[in-house]
Amino acid sequence: MDFQAPRQRLFALSLIIAIATGILVGRLWQIQVLQGTAYLRQSEENRIRDYVLTAPRGIVYDRKGRPLVTNRPSFTVAMLPLELRRPAEVMATLAPMLGMTPGEIRARIESSRARLFEPVRVKRDVGTRVVAMIEENRMDLPGVIILAEPVRYYLHGKMTAHVMGYIGEIDEDELKARKIERYKLGDLVGKSGVERKYEAALRGSDGRLRMEVDAHGRPLRELGRVAAVPGRSIVLSLDLDVQRAAFEALQASGLPSGAVVAMDPRSGELLAMVSTPSFDPNLFATGISPKAWQGLVRHPLRPLLNRAAGAAFEPGSVFKLVTATAALERGIVNRQSTFHAPGYFRLGRWVFRDLKAWGTVNFMTGMANSINVVFYTLGNRLGGEVLALYAKMLGLGEVTNIDLPAEVSGTIPSPSTKKALVGEPWYPGDSVNMSIGQGAVTATPLQVARMVSVIANRGTLYQPHVLLLMHDRGGKARRTGRVLQGRVTLKPSTFDVLHEGMQAAVDRGTGRAAAISGVMIAGKTGSAENPRGKPHAWFAGFAPARAPTVVVVAFVEHGFRGGISAAPIARRVFLAALSQSTPDRGATPHQTARQMARGSVRGTSEPRR
Amino acid sequence: MSARLLRYVDWTLLGTTLALMAFGGVMIYSATQNTGDPMGFVKVRVLHALFGLTLLAVAAAVDYQAIARAWRPVLGGAMFLLVIVMLVGITTMGSQRWIPLGPLGGFQPSELAKLALIIALARNLEAHPDLDSWRTVIPVLLIAAVPVGLIVEQPDLGTAMVLVAITAAMLFAAGAPRRIMMALGGATLAGVPVLWQMLHDYQRRRLIVFIDPGLDPQGAGYALIQSKIAMGSGQMFGKGLLHGTQNLLNFIPEQHTDFIFTVVGEELGFLGAMTVLALFAIWLWRGMTIVYLAKDRLGMLMAVGIVSMIAFHVVVNIGMTVGLMPITGIPLPFISHGGSALVVMLMATGVLLGIGMRRKKILF
Repeated sequence: MDFQAPRQRLFALSLIIAIATGILVGRLWQIQVLQGTAYLRQSEENRIRDYVLTAPRGIVYDRKGRPLVTNRPSFTVAMLPLELRRPAEVMATLAPMLGMTPGEIRARIESSRARLFEPVRVKRDVGTRVVAMIEENRMDLPGVIILAEPVRYYLHGKMTAHVMGYIGEIDEDELKARKIERYKLGDLVGKSGVERKYEAALRGSDGRLRMEVDAHGRPLRELGRVAAVPGRSIVLSLDLDVQRAAFEALQASGLPSGAVVAMDPRSGELLAMVSTPSFDPNLFATGISPKAWQGLVRHPLRPLLNRAAGAAFEPGSVFKLVTATAALERGIVNRQSTFHAPGYFRLGRWVFRDLKAWGTVNFMTGMANSINVVFYTLGNRLGGEVLALYAKMLGLGEVTNIDLPAEVSGTIPSPSTKKALVGEPWYPGDSVNMSIGQGAVTATPLQVARMVSVIANRGTLYQPHVLLLMHDRGGKARRTGRVLQGRVTLKPSTFDVLHEGMQAAVDRGTGRAAAISGVMIAGKTGSAENPRGKPHAWFAGFAPARAPTVVVVAFVEHGFRGGISAAPIARRVFLAALSQSTPDRGATPHQTARQMARGSVRGTSEPRR
Repeated sequence: MSARLLRYVDWTLLGTTLALMAFGGVMIYSATQNTGDPMGFVKVRVLHALFGLTLLAVAAAVDYQAIARAWRPVLGGAMFLLVIVMLVGITTMGSQRWIPLGPLGGFQPSELAKLALIIALARNLEAHPDLDSWRTVIPVLLIAAVPVGLIVEQPDLGTAMVLVAITAAMLFAAGAPRRIMMALGGATLAGVPVLWQMLHDYQRRRLIVFIDPGLDPQGAGYALIQSKIAMGSGQMFGKGLLHGTQNLLNFIPEQHTDFIFTVVGEELGFLGAMTVLALFAIWLWRGMTIVYLAKDRLGMLMAVGIVSMIAFHVVVNIGMTVGLMPITGIPLPFISHGGSALVVMLMATGVLLGIGMRRKKILF
């Protein structure tokens, strides 16, 4: 038997195999040679992941170099949308670890759809226990990463809240406005206070860390790094001791809302600025919960409001300083002028009341005891237009241009503007009301402080400011100069009488509760009637009276009597400020403040390995 | 063994086989670098290879006609093992494929079934030289149907496809008329929906994403996409042995077994892939030469079965890594890590060599 192979069919089989092999060769050529570059790029994208190294924000110091806000290390749980496999399962696993609902996580992811390559921060500042749990379950959590990031830490919380302000994730509008500054969604940005005003300096520039990762997204090896440049540190003019005294005194008053401003009348430097009720800015540093946010926003007393500069109130008798200035300048009164004060002031059909019948008094007694009839008389003779003119000369009715956001201007009515604004004529009674700071007059505690500073320094209107020192990009320290806003040219005798009257008020008049033995203090109280409740209590003064180094304005909303609730607060602030022996202008600030401001604290954020 | 037998040993075929195995050892070392013990994998492979080469020698020495005569116990034994695996087998990826063998790892009876089927089919097709009626074809088909059925039941789609391909190639070589071939092809297509029902979800997903990997880039399409990226990124010369990033960073699943060719493509580039493909081409060319020179119909049919088995493995496996074939999980002969497949492939090579050694005497 001679076997003959089926040549035709075997040839067909060989041909099939040859063709199949040929196709493989062609395909390999196509993928590896023709499209190789594109696939190489894809394999690089696979293995290389860029992490943002969040730059720590600049440190903020008080004038003596004590930090007010620093950064502390924290862990942030984030997700990489592109690497999120089986998102529903991952979110269901992750949610209980973070104490969130899967829906909340989903909302975070969806709100940041725009940037697929950037990690979406799901929860900031998680504890080490959460980090450990996530690392243990790494295999079940593809696309979930832990970032080590600095978190803003306000060392004094509520005490400095309104000056410091707070930070938060940038919103759409801010993003649009700041696009050129290379902000991106998820970035933290100053929302109020110093944080907002000095955002440009405080914000550092983020670095990038290039890591090789494996298929599970675990970082294995560092491939490159652009270091984060920390934000520049700044030094504020605030004195922490004065600030603390002001905050504690305000709290001790037992009334829920108020404000204190302490300012150096020689420069406009703010030594303290406090507003109550306050809030804890640390709540914002890690992303405030909706519940806590609602609590702040819906609170009837509006804790986020800076009552020292962001709200204007009826100044009451503090405004008598304006009336007195105008009357002295216009020569209708001098320190010996006498007044008949029967306890009321009659103007045509109207009767304006006073606390009591004083009999015949001189102007000094009128200033010391804040006798309404004395000022009714003067106001009535001066008229609204003159009162408004001097109020504006002393800086009321317009913003002080302090270096803090959200300042309001208050209102100084006048016959001409009332007609234009309300359409009603100016009645003579309006001038009488205005003379004691009632009616439509409103002012911020900060404006009152600037006004009293002008009186204290005899005529110089400095722009109030909180920044003392800042380093430019080259690292050179730049001190904020005093900004002269204007000169209030008054007769020296006018200042003499004002000073004497204000000293009398503290020495033997309404402001006695502010007196400190051994120090001459000048001041003016106010109890401002307002339509919302009990009168507001004011005290505005300066010390030492002969060579003033500090102006203090204490304001207690619905505090009833300036001499009772505001003056004691001012006294404690004076005590704190005067015991600090505030250095003169030109003296170098505390050495440590400069060193600390220059050597910014290093903090980087790196993915955990 | 006589000197005449040794004289006709196809040294090229044997050399190519050894070269592919050695190549495989290197690639396995690279693919298992990040397990921490690549030498461990290589040692296991050397053991498998030595065992397989012993069986290769035995299979070559024993007359293939004697082997074919024993087709009943061979096929029966393989079927028995397939049943055993259904009862005690180890489940991986939802399929029961392994019989645990302690330190040697596991044994995969479905690999053995391939060779057993070749032997049984060759013997039965030899007995029926006239295949022009269904009466003669159907008994042969029934022989194939049993192992295919058992393996589909596991379910191991890839191996079942191999068995079908072997059967088709052998029927074709045995001279089955065109109408019967066409009818069988049609019947196979008709069976697809039934098969679909038997598959696991992951297997169905693999097939769906083969059509459109973009449907699920992080899930079922992942392996397909990553394997193409690995292959393509190797470009002409590769990223260098042991330096494939897709490999090292575990972007390729099963990189030391089913996807070993992606390590070749990524680290050694187009040139490396061509080298492997060339070795297989030489192997297949030598195999086809043995088919042509077989001294009888039995030898010719057995050789066709073995050559088509290897060819099918190579084309489907490499095709899978470059996105031309769905992911079915069949290994690359002589190269992929996996003892059962290697041993069975070496045994088959031994049988093939044996057929060549007993070739026609007309030449020379």
